Amino acid sequence: MDSQRAEARALEAEITALRRACVEPPAPGEDTSRVRKSFREIYQADSEGWELSKDLRSHLGHLESELQFLSTLTGISIRHYSKKTEDLTSTEMTEKSIKKVLQRHRLSGDCHMITFQLEFQLLEIQNEESLSSVITDLSIIMEPTEYSELSEFVSRAEERRDLFMFFRSLHFFVEWCEYRKRTFKRFKEKYPEAVHLSEGASSSCMGIRSPSRPGFELVIVWRIQIDEEGKVLPKLDLLTKVPLQALELDKNGVIETAPLSFRTLLGVLGIEATLESLIKSLHTEASN
Amino acid sequence: MELANTLSQDGESRRGVLAHLERLETQVSRCRKKLEEPQSAQAVESALGTRIHELRRLRDKLRAEVKQHQARVKASTTNVEPDQTLEITEQEFLKRKRENVKAILQAYRFTGISGKLTSRGVCVCIGTAFEGNLLDSYFVDLVMQKPPQIHHHSIPVFIPLEEISAKYLQTNIQHFLFTLCEYLNAYSGRKYQADRLQSDFAAFLAGPLQRNSLCNLLSFTYKAEPEGQSFPFCARLLYKDLTTTLPTDVTVTYQGTDALSTTREEQRAAHENLFFTKPLHQVFTSFASKGDKLDMSLVS
Repeated sequence: MDSQRAEARALEAEITALRRACVEPPAPGEDTSRVRKSFREIYQADSEGWELSKDLRSHLGHLESELQFLSTLTGISIRHYSKKTEDLTSTEMTEKSIKKVLQRHRLSGDCHMITFQLEFQLLEIQNEESLSSVITDLSIIMEPTEYSELSEFVSRAEERRDLFMFFRSLHFFVEWCEYRKRTFKRFKEKYPEAVHLSEGASSSCMGIRSPSRPGFELVIVWRIQIDEEGKVLPKLDLLTKVPLQALELDKNGVIETAPLSFRTLLGVLGIEATLESLIKSLHTEASN
Repeated sequence: MELANTLSQDGESRRGVLAHLERLETQVSRCRKKLEEPQSAQAVESALGTRIHELRRLRDKLRAEVKQHQARVKASTTNVEPDQTLEITEQEFLKRKRENVKAILQAYRFTGISGKLTSRGVCVCIGTAFEGNLLDSYFVDLVMQKPPQIHHHSIPVFIPLEEISAKYLQTNIQHFLFTLCEYLNAYSGRKYQADRLQSDFAAFLAGPLQRNSLCNLLSFTYKAEPEGQSFPFCARLLYKDLTTTLPTDVTVTYQGTDALSTTREEQRAAHENLFFTKPLHQVFTSFASKGDKLDMSLVS
């Protein structure tokens, strides 16, 4: 009872203070600061708000670090996400204890340098035995990138409504692109005179020129393809730029058969070793 | 009532009545006192409770008013100080932000790889799907030490997990996870196709569908028309690449020799081609919708 009396007294005191605060005009200057001070007194007694914010902040911090971790783990960053749910359960279904829910999801983010925006519908039907979740509609918007290979793949993913395939292939695609870029850069650094990246390291072409033989150039075209099933595969071709006189002199058809030999070499040595051997063959020739 | 009854019974003697009344009065007042003592305490307490309740309500109302008042003061003065009004809205802001981050964390399941931090690492959930149908999920509980290790998992034994983890887990976790995704999704996809064939097209099957646990070797005997009198075809589908959902080897054979063997041969070749390029249940959907007409049109 004493505690109740005390509480009542405290409340009365607070109310008096609040009433005074209400009556006092919000004039600037002295008055305001006095009013404010009394507010502070009132609210400081109530530390609940502070505690709540502190908890919220630490919880938020924890969730944000989890998000950071997931985006590092998957290489996919989701920036925005929203969801709308619509219940399609009819009374007839309710009687049979079937639940039918349509969810509309919007999601945007990026996978390294490629940004994407997705919209899809997910239809969930639950009966007593099972739950089926089907993506009924998928649309993918990607900012036009330098990677033209992606547009065909995107329409196939949309057609198949295969969200997981989209992300999986995107991941492998980006992985290959980065590998290609690293490899091109490394060769440029190692053989700056022979290797030419006229369209930059991110492009699919690398030119090899011999300083001593002007007009003679080998061009490596390294494409990254995504097949029907979403598998990402590199495809390398060799193009030759040879002066007409040289072609006439090439009685054994070495230049003509070069692209084929290049393929064979790839199969035996792998990508990096094949490229290196090509560069070296021109490089050493030049230094001799 | 008691009092009245007593009065009428002893009505003859006034003195006796008065004395009796007096006795009763004292009795009653004694009783009342006994009753009232605890009652009054209760009454006070409940009155206090009501009062506190009322006071709280009043206080809350005034607080709201003061807050508005304060906001006006705040707006009208340039002297900006962090104050409690901001604190409330900041809480709102934090709550909204928290809900947003929570939703994004959940949305990771749509990428096929989601996860939850554990005390020692992360428990990764890998989702599988085939053409829009969301299928089973699997988990891999990773201990994030150097080198990372798999603590628990629910990956089926026939998936070459050890091989994949030996190759990539220590050097590139991301690659490890996506490679595992590839295997699991392909397995789920093959299993889904075989299940659909069994459940939706049983009428076409002449005998049980045989499959291995990886679902990368399927064999079945079927008819292209459920009611057809024709001899059945035998199909054997092999998926050498465990990360694919379309077969790498297809053999279709037929039993018996009938007069129209050239037509049979054409059908056989057309079926083989279909099995190579279309998911299993879709091949049978085309059988069901068009009968053999489709095969013939493919051949010609």
